[in-house]
Amino acid sequence: MSDFDIKNIAKLASINLSAEEQEKLTNDLSIILEHVQALSSLELDTNIEDVFIHPLEKELKLVEDIEIDSLTHEEALSNAPESKDGKFVVPPSME
Amino acid sequence: MELKNLSIRQLNNLFVDKKAKPSELYSDIFDASASSESLLHAHLSLFEEKNLENAKKSDKRFEKGESTGLLDGIPIAIKDNINIKGELTTCSSKMLSNYRSPYNATVIEKLNNENALYTGKTNLDEFAMGSSTENSAFGLTKNPWNTDYVPGGSSGGSAASVSARSSIGALGSDTGGSIRQPAAFCGLVGFKPTYGTVSRYGLIAFASSLDQIGPITKNVDDARIIYNAISGHDALDATSIDNNQINIPFDKSAKIGVIKELMEDGISDESRNEVSKVLENLKKQGYQIKEVSLPLIKLSISIYYLIAPAECSANLARFDGVRYGLRVEGKTSYEMMQNTRAEGFGDEVKRRILLGTYALSAGYYDEYYGKALRARKKMIDEFSNIFNDVDYLISPTTPTAAFKAGEKTSNPLEMYMSDLCTIPANLAGLPAISIPTGLSKEKLPLGVQIMSKPLTDLSLLNFSEIIEKEVDFNTSPEGLEK
Repeated sequence: MSDFDIKNIAKLASINLSAEEQEKLTNDLSIILEHVQALSSLELDTNIEDVFIHPLEKELKLVEDIEIDSLTHEEALSNAPESKDGKFVVPPSME
Repeated sequence: MELKNLSIRQLNNLFVDKKAKPSELYSDIFDASASSESLLHAHLSLFEEKNLENAKKSDKRFEKGESTGLLDGIPIAIKDNINIKGELTTCSSKMLSNYRSPYNATVIEKLNNENALYTGKTNLDEFAMGSSTENSAFGLTKNPWNTDYVPGGSSGGSAASVSARSSIGALGSDTGGSIRQPAAFCGLVGFKPTYGTVSRYGLIAFASSLDQIGPITKNVDDARIIYNAISGHDALDATSIDNNQINIPFDKSAKIGVIKELMEDGISDESRNEVSKVLENLKKQGYQIKEVSLPLIKLSISIYYLIAPAECSANLARFDGVRYGLRVEGKTSYEMMQNTRAEGFGDEVKRRILLGTYALSAGYYDEYYGKALRARKKMIDEFSNIFNDVDYLISPTTPTAAFKAGEKTSNPLEMYMSDLCTIPANLAGLPAISIPTGLSKEKLPLGVQIMSKPLTDLSLLNFSEIIEKEVDFNTSPEGLEK
């Protein structure tokens, strides 16, 4: 686990971590990843590309492409931290 | 006997015969909540006024002989990761502390059709990630059998509410044992149906290929009644399937397998003894029992803790402070998202998101997530082969009885191990049930788990009922007001 870079993982997950959290989580994740190494002893078919989507290997049903009632515009915005003119408002992408 | 201690069928009979009214049952239930909530903290919210109104409507339907079935007027507790329109769905997270759902989950639509009542929303481990309900941002729930102990998790609030009689039954969700483990810890029946037979629409997703909604109840028949009401294909859930049940024998011609790997190291003597007791009983009745081996079960925690976090990291990416939930300001959108997720998620959720992000990241995907998927497939094949030989698989539900609050919070891996027996059914999509069978030396409940092949849910329930009758476990916690 020498290559485990908690800062990079936190960046990918978009979560700010304090120095204390970084240390604690590096330790926790190292223990868990060491445990899951048990899987490396398994002989597995590496050719399986599409492993599965459904645990029962069922073919998923597609719905008909028809219009159905859904949330109203107002309902969809009802939990937004900030909205204006029927749109979500977010801070600028760049400073 | 007080109404709150009765089964759904007994209550319905009383309502139909006009010997009791749903509003009387609701008062009974609400009185139980009033005395137990301050002690246990099973519910995050209670819907008192709405319930009184709806209970009176049920009264009228029964008066006129127009009731809508077994669940008419029955108060059911709903885990707070299932959406009820107009109500808060917090997932026990700061992230969603003010989220009010604009729509109903399909299971709620189905229960509405039956005119069931909702006692309120119950506590859980944040986003259903945990095994003790200690990971809730709104405080822990306690075990009604002994308040020093956890009720299990993540559906700990649902289990505690049924146990304390502040609901007749409850809905939970089960991703790695989150219905069965708290049911076992609280002396109740917990049923995780075949994956896909109950719609996940409106259940806030944790790990989509593993999550399944199901009932926690005082007895098997109540679980069956709720399952029948909530199951069925739903076009709003792409993984939903037609619930075409397969009948397998549940009488003495049924073949029972006891899982060798779940009767070995890591399982307490007490948990093993409960299984032995049930097997002895079945043997006396004439059932054929054999030991079976599923070697990959020993790797199920490893498989699960790659697949579930990977799916959780993708599912919880939606909580970014834009469309709903918490927002913590930042100079840019990205900074706002990072601040929001840092503030909104608790430790366990962060741990799993980061683990999943790592398992899915470039260069590690094949080594971790890809390998776990292939191992999962192999485990499913192992189960399929075993089900050519036996109809039901029996094991303990949990390695031990309930543990004390705070006992496992500092060691995540130790906490994860408490799901050792329950995780395999999620990985393989199997129906699985926990039924209470006895007490530990600390007077805490223990349960036995039974699994069967996919789409044999109803046969599994019938078989479980036979065991339930023989065991005759008293589900009323000693010490709490009866």
